[in-house]
Amino acid sequence: MLTDHNWILTVGVFLPLAGVLIMLFIPKEEESLNKAIAIITAAVTLAVGIATMAWFKYGSDSSKLQFHVDVAWIPAIKSRYIIGLDGVSMPLYILSMVITLLVMIYSWDHIPEPGNAKAFMILMLILQTGMAGTFVAQDLILFFVFFEVVLLPMYFMIGVWGGEQRQYASLKFFLYTMFGSALMLVAFLALFFQTGAQSFSLEYLYAHSSMISTNVAVWIFAGMFVGFAVKVPMFPFHTWLPDAHTQAPTQGSVILAAILLKLGTYGFIRIAIPTLPQAAVKWAPVIGVLAVIGIIYGALGCLAQTDMKRLIAFSSVAHMGFVMLGISTLTQFGINAAVYGMVAHGLITGMLFFLAGSIKNRYHTLEIAKMGGILKRIPRLGWILGMCAMASLGLPGLAGFWGEFPAILSAYSPFHNDYVHLSQPLFRTLMVIAAIGTVLAAGYLLWMFQRVAFGEASPLIAGDVDADGNDLHAGAHAGDHAGDHLVGERGHGAVPFSVGAAGNADPHAEVHDVGIFEWIAWTPLLIGIVVLGAYPDLMFKVLNGSVTKLLAPVQALTGK
Amino acid sequence: MLSTLLASDVVAPFSSPKIDYHALAPELVLAGVIVAVLLADLFLEESKKWVLSTIAGFGLLAAFIPIVTLAVSGHRARSMFGGAYVVDTYSLLVKGIFLLAGYVVVLLSQNYLEEGDYYQGEYYFLLLSSILGMVMMGSSRDLVTIFVSLEFLSIPAYMLAAWRKRDLKSNEAGTKYYLLGVFASAVMLYGMSLLYGDTGTTILKGIGAKLQNGSMSPVAVLGIVFVIIGFAFKVSAVPFHNWAPDTYQGAPTPITAFLSVASKAAGFVALINLIYVAFPHGGDVFQPMIGVMAASTMTLGNVMALRQTNIVRMLAYSSISQGGFILMPLAVAGGKSSGNALTAIVTYLAVYAATNLGLFAVIIAVSRKTRSGEVSSWGGLFSYAPLLGVLATAFLASLAGIPPLGGWVAKFGAFRAVITSGTNWGYALAIVGAVNSVIAFGYYGSLMREIWMKPVPDGDTAPIRTPSSLNAALMICGGATLALGVVPGIILRFSDIIKL
Amino acid sequence: MLISEFLLLGAVLFCIGVYGVIVRKNAVLVLMSIELILNSVNINLLAFSLKYNDISGQTFALYIIAVAAAEVGVGLALVLLIYRNKRNISLDELSEMKG
Repeated sequence: MLTDHNWILTVGVFLPLAGVLIMLFIPKEEESLNKAIAIITAAVTLAVGIATMAWFKYGSDSSKLQFHVDVAWIPAIKSRYIIGLDGVSMPLYILSMVITLLVMIYSWDHIPEPGNAKAFMILMLILQTGMAGTFVAQDLILFFVFFEVVLLPMYFMIGVWGGEQRQYASLKFFLYTMFGSALMLVAFLALFFQTGAQSFSLEYLYAHSSMISTNVAVWIFAGMFVGFAVKVPMFPFHTWLPDAHTQAPTQGSVILAAILLKLGTYGFIRIAIPTLPQAAVKWAPVIGVLAVIGIIYGALGCLAQTDMKRLIAFSSVAHMGFVMLGISTLTQFGINAAVYGMVAHGLITGMLFFLAGSIKNRYHTLEIAKMGGILKRIPRLGWILGMCAMASLGLPGLAGFWGEFPAILSAYSPFHNDYVHLSQPLFRTLMVIAAIGTVLAAGYLLWMFQRVAFGEASPLIAGDVDADGNDLHAGAHAGDHAGDHLVGERGHGAVPFSVGAAGNADPHAEVHDVGIFEWIAWTPLLIGIVVLGAYPDLMFKVLNGSVTKLLAPVQALTGK
Repeated sequence: MLSTLLASDVVAPFSSPKIDYHALAPELVLAGVIVAVLLADLFLEESKKWVLSTIAGFGLLAAFIPIVTLAVSGHRARSMFGGAYVVDTYSLLVKGIFLLAGYVVVLLSQNYLEEGDYYQGEYYFLLLSSILGMVMMGSSRDLVTIFVSLEFLSIPAYMLAAWRKRDLKSNEAGTKYYLLGVFASAVMLYGMSLLYGDTGTTILKGIGAKLQNGSMSPVAVLGIVFVIIGFAFKVSAVPFHNWAPDTYQGAPTPITAFLSVASKAAGFVALINLIYVAFPHGGDVFQPMIGVMAASTMTLGNVMALRQTNIVRMLAYSSISQGGFILMPLAVAGGKSSGNALTAIVTYLAVYAATNLGLFAVIIAVSRKTRSGEVSSWGGLFSYAPLLGVLATAFLASLAGIPPLGGWVAKFGAFRAVITSGTNWGYALAIVGAVNSVIAFGYYGSLMREIWMKPVPDGDTAPIRTPSSLNAALMICGGATLALGVVPGIILRFSDIIKL
Repeated sequence: MLISEFLLLGAVLFCIGVYGVIVRKNAVLVLMSIELILNSVNINLLAFSLKYNDISGQTFALYIIAVAAAEVGVGLALVLLIYRNKRNISLDELSEMKG
């Protein structure tokens, strides 16, 4: 039993709450102080996370639960405070800390309307505790509690700081997720009683999964499936996602895309499949089919979007489809790819939402049709967008590739052992369709990038009109802002992004390229995308042992 | 005639029953406090009437002391009056809940009464009497004691509901509550008379020994049904819930809090006493009945709550729906999940008391400024009263059952109980409950939306001044709600060992 | 034993009482109907008490009589209150609140 340093996970999970406590005593007028404390808290949390990484035993030990803590929590219901970290949870655990810190740094000069940095930062810190806790929890009830802790902060983040339709979007997000988790809780309880009502500990449940008859297990799996699939989100349950993403503030979208969606897929890998292997085999084809429908549906959805953020949101549906396809094969190969895809999607889509947020910040719209030629005006941001689009479509050499390609490949030979096997023809068909999905992905992402970045600067990007299409040149002739004459007689460019530019020859002096806080927030993500793309083994090595262990109950199936 | 009766040696000479004064100490202390309040009211000048609430508050806390001493003196059940009155771990726990809930209600009432210019002495006298009735209900194990406790807690509550004498709404609230309450207890009494007729005893344990599965006479079945209907009124279960919204809306707000928490809890305690002691083998009769009631209560309560625009009325329906959740475990009592069901109900009652009283404290605090009961009056609460906004959010989240606030422990226990039963019934109820806990967020969420996302009506952002007693109530309830959610052991370690 | 006759009387009184509660619109008449139910309970209890030769049924009846008196006192006070504010005691017109 590895007991050294096992305090570190508890500290890492609950440290953000200490920051919250301190912030409660600071008046909200002290905006900078509040932000500073929040960022310092997140930074210290990440430092704890890095120490965890340093102390983590790699190699063959990475499959074991490390920093294992097992103390009494609610004895009356046999639930214990069990936490631990293994190869599958570690990357996600660290990712949540990184993303939170970066999002907070980005927030330094990007607090969305209606302000109140204190409340905004406090919500993010609470979110961080919930996310990190979910990835380390090794007890079903503890997992459920952490899983639910993220709900309210996100609800408020979307509902208070979001866009026009924020109230509708936040309620939809909440009701969907809550519906899922209510059924999930019932499923957890059923699982508990079917395994002899002894313990909620995952270790115990893995070992006793065979006590449940397949017919019952299929129903219990259904409950969990709804709970996790809503969160992922998988095809029929995905409708909350585009709304939530479009309406959420940039920070909310990034956290949602980078971490929250992973709670669902993580739940499948950590809980649903190993505790109910006999049902997982029955459900795998369903999951696979829904995943592929998600891929195609998401891609087609993307092609229909006119709003950049909505497009990225639909691309998330497609990408999570690849992750779920990997999971549905129930093979070591597929699940490795899935976890890799989760991390890669977190980095890439998180980055894309950051970019969308920054573009919206500058131009007050995300209508793709109104944009064009941003490379001419803000080249650095434009090229970063280009790189992320490439990473997102799965260009070899960038992180996205290693999530997508092996996932598709894994469908070639889905799980089989001497007694049980998944239908090979079905999964090979799925493989082909998923491959078509990648072509579509390349299509919509390149199309989006081309329309936004290339060509001559559109009237909006060039600063001739504002987001509503109003002419910004008081004396200019109608139809005379073709965009190719950038410097002209426009002396009094008014609102919104050229405040104070009166008399200036260039009205977009204020539309600056990537700013300092943006650089700080984005660089680590960009480095991550490149490094994970160039050297995938870095993570596969950590994952593989744990994935094998989590799949052991499936391997042991005898078809009885 | 009488003299011959007395003289005859057929009747044994009267011997006083053995009385365990330690076991009765909470009731005796409370009775003493009631008299003290009544006397003090006679001699106090109008300007010094605030002393009464202090006496009442400290009296309730004083009555809590013997509960603690009884609890540490061992788990032995102290049975008195031939088993009609039993003090055991279960009754101590529910008595504790009643006393603490009563204390919070006193805190809520203090400024409301002083500023509203209502009679104070009588108010606290009646409030304490009603609490005494509830405390007695915890120990009642006899049809007569249950009846007396029920009336003891109800009759003062009828008057308290109509306390705003000149307000027609309050009159209506009191009258409706009274008429339906009295009618319900009459129906219940008829059921009790049938039970007595079938078994020949009024002691619950004796009834339980006589009523066996399969061999139950139609008279006994009718008796059980009538008794349960009688208490279904008390806990405002559908279809006997009609009085609740009107009564809650019209009654003074602290009394609404009291009725929705303590009075409802007392109804459940009575149901537990009856079902666990008198009808443990009557599962075939009461389980389907209570199961259907539970499902329809939570569903109808939720659906109606979604349509409300008045906060108190919305909470009335919310409390009906929560009552459905509390009934849920009762629907599987008597089977193998009896123990779990008992734990679940008592835990639920404790968590629900802390949460709902807290929410009413917020309502009272906010209405001091807005003078309105409309949902829209809460617009932008967070922006000008952040503490109240956050507390209200916490209470609403707890009612909705979102971790890490207390409500999830309560809901979890209820689900656990029905699923332990392992019957299809149990699973179906669990699914209905799960769906309902989502629907419930529709209105809890709409209140949160007002608090956080809506503009302040009239743009009046003056801060809210809350008196210290209200602050104390908010802190007690807020602390309890959070603590129960994070370390549920503080209640579960008690509710798990109780037995009946 | 005359037990079934007593029980029949009790049941009839009970039904009349329930009918009255449901049908009557005058608050005082509803109160009286409830009293009828209570009396039917008392008759039942006394009959059973005789059948079992057990005193607890009679004690129960005494309690009911005492409590019913208290109840009626409160009820009449409430009716009086409404009459003062409204000059009317019809239950149909008690509808200040809706929903």
